Amino acid sequence: MNPIEAEKLTRRFGDTIADDAISFSVRPGETYGLLGPNGAGKTTLVRMLTTLLAPTSGTARVAGHDVVSEKGKVRASIGTVSQAETTDENLTVRENLSIHGKMYGLWGRRLSEVIERRLRQVGLWEKRDQITRTLSGGMRRRLEIARGVLHSPHILFLDEPTTGLDPQSRRGAWEMLGELKERDGSLAIVLTTHAMDEANFLCDRVAIMDRGHILCEDAPEALKRSLATGEHVLFETDRAIEPRDRDAILALGAVNWRTPAPTSAEFEARPGEGVGRLAAQLVEERGYEILHLTISPVTLEDVFFAYTGRALREER
Amino acid sequence: MGATSPSAALPRKAASEKSLGVSRGPRLAFLGILAICQRAYLTLWRQPVLIISTMLFPVIYLLVLGNALNRQLSNIPLAVVDEAGNSLAAECRRAVLALESGRGLVVATFPADREEALEDLRRGRYRGVWVLPHGMSAIGPGPAFIGDNTDRPSYDALDSALSEIWGDATGVRRRAVLPARLEAYPYLDYLTYLGPAVVCLAIFMGSMVAGGLQVIEDRMYGYHEGYLVTPVSTGAIVAGHMLAGALVASLAGAFVLLAIMLFTPLPMATPEALGGGLVTVFLTALAITALWFLLFARARKASVLRGMFGIINVLVFFPSGALYPVESYPKWLRVVSDVDPLTYGITALRDLLLRGSPPSSCYSEWLFLLTFSLVCGVLTQVLFRREV
Repeated sequence: MNPIEAEKLTRRFGDTIADDAISFSVRPGETYGLLGPNGAGKTTLVRMLTTLLAPTSGTARVAGHDVVSEKGKVRASIGTVSQAETTDENLTVRENLSIHGKMYGLWGRRLSEVIERRLRQVGLWEKRDQITRTLSGGMRRRLEIARGVLHSPHILFLDEPTTGLDPQSRRGAWEMLGELKERDGSLAIVLTTHAMDEANFLCDRVAIMDRGHILCEDAPEALKRSLATGEHVLFETDRAIEPRDRDAILALGAVNWRTPAPTSAEFEARPGEGVGRLAAQLVEERGYEILHLTISPVTLEDVFFAYTGRALREER
Repeated sequence: MGATSPSAALPRKAASEKSLGVSRGPRLAFLGILAICQRAYLTLWRQPVLIISTMLFPVIYLLVLGNALNRQLSNIPLAVVDEAGNSLAAECRRAVLALESGRGLVVATFPADREEALEDLRRGRYRGVWVLPHGMSAIGPGPAFIGDNTDRPSYDALDSALSEIWGDATGVRRRAVLPARLEAYPYLDYLTYLGPAVVCLAIFMGSMVAGGLQVIEDRMYGYHEGYLVTPVSTGAIVAGHMLAGALVASLAGAFVLLAIMLFTPLPMATPEALGGGLVTVFLTALAITALWFLLFARARKASVLRGMFGIINVLVFFPSGALYPVESYPKWLRVVSDVDPLTYGITALRDLLLRGSPPSSCYSEWLFLLTFSLVCGVLTQVLFRREV
């Protein structure tokens, strides 16, 4: 049985459809990413799966329980880290976890043991008696993740887990999630993000979402490889590029040839085949001097662009 | 317990990470309520401003309001214009001087000119002018009192004091039979009368902060979401919030109750009255918190509370008889006061602490408070949204 099975899950707010008949499943032990711009319907989807929002139509089973008729059982088997800060800044690190643990029926010695184990896991054990307000943003997020997995849920939902963190804390949070997965191989993680690098780093599979639909769904590498035009190459030479040299480069697999100036060229190529590098070699062999060369590797951003014709960041 | 069964379907590699088995039913409800109360209690002590506003404000309120309203009038400037110059006038002047040196009610001056005295009255130098006219005698003409009636309490005090002097001087009063007057309870000043009201004010403030504001802030900042995604039932979450707010408010109420017992010794401060008082404090706190919680069952912004606070304050605190006896209210206001839980809290506290009634006399008030809390709680649970 898959930890998550969603079938035509739909949520409307008045006339707007936040999620339009979304079907997907998450496999045991998998980290599944919902990547898309703000307003794509990611958070709404997660809220429906975490029983915080009733679907307008469609069904979903989380840990085998229906999200509408078996809310209590769903809640008992999931952990969530929401976009909002759900730890109380006036309490200490340990107090926050102690209160949260009780809400899952943990108590006494068992609760203390779980708290210690999780705090050690996220590297906050030394800060256990510190008031949460005094933690850095990254530490606070790690506390929230510790809180999300305190009761050893089957599925962990992370809604934009690193939004607002500095690059270093972000990296730290990613690594921590990686370790968490290593220790508990069966834990399935569903995360939403609008950062392609995050989806790329953390997810086994990524669903790219836009305007309430899942556009495509696969492993990040597979998604990138599927693009005919992922790699972006731009170079500038010391003299005008002749047509026969252009044809030679096109023969390597370059597409969308453009010449911003007679001495420069810009094109795309299928990722992973090194077309940019080969083209640069070819140009140098034919006696040009390359003044400037940029080869941008394909990103999930390009995948998003390929499907929507818009950049991911434009929506921000 | 029951909820762990689905875990069997999911393969789990590491034994140490085994599902902890989330409990359900009454135990979970109990732990959920406990968790919410624990947080409210810890939060209170971590925010000194909250403690000050909920506990010290009512005490300061009592000291300022009680002393401002309750003080025996004194040092009222009075001008006595003696135009008569006879022995009766001399006796009146002596009595006025006695009033000044004795109770300190007046500060007397004796200007010679009536016009000048009246002019000074209009300029606010005197609160009253007492003119003892030419040929003043017991059969007439009598003295004239011209008072500054913009200051009603001073006017009334001067009027009655001067009438008394005149009565004594002419022997009018000696003819009347004095009616019997007995005070049923030990002497009570207004400050002590206010005591129960101030305890209720502390409860009111405490429950607003812990029951209303805290819940809205939790919702605004998303903390609430952390409760809602847990398996604790909605009923337990509502009960937890109500109880947590009631405990904080009770703490404030009990603190003020003890402070009042120290500063203005309540006449009936017996252990029995104290015990009954604490029960009343808790039940009042529960009812008021339930009311706040019901009003803000769906509010998401603190501005709603700020806007409502004034109205609720007027609708709950003033009709309760905290400052003035309920019996003298007009009918429509008595309807408000009849459903106002604070009315019952104050009545019970006054019975216990001022009149020395046994706690059993408060059962009907307690029953009302409990019923009120339950009704509000049930309504809140219906209105409460588990969704965000």
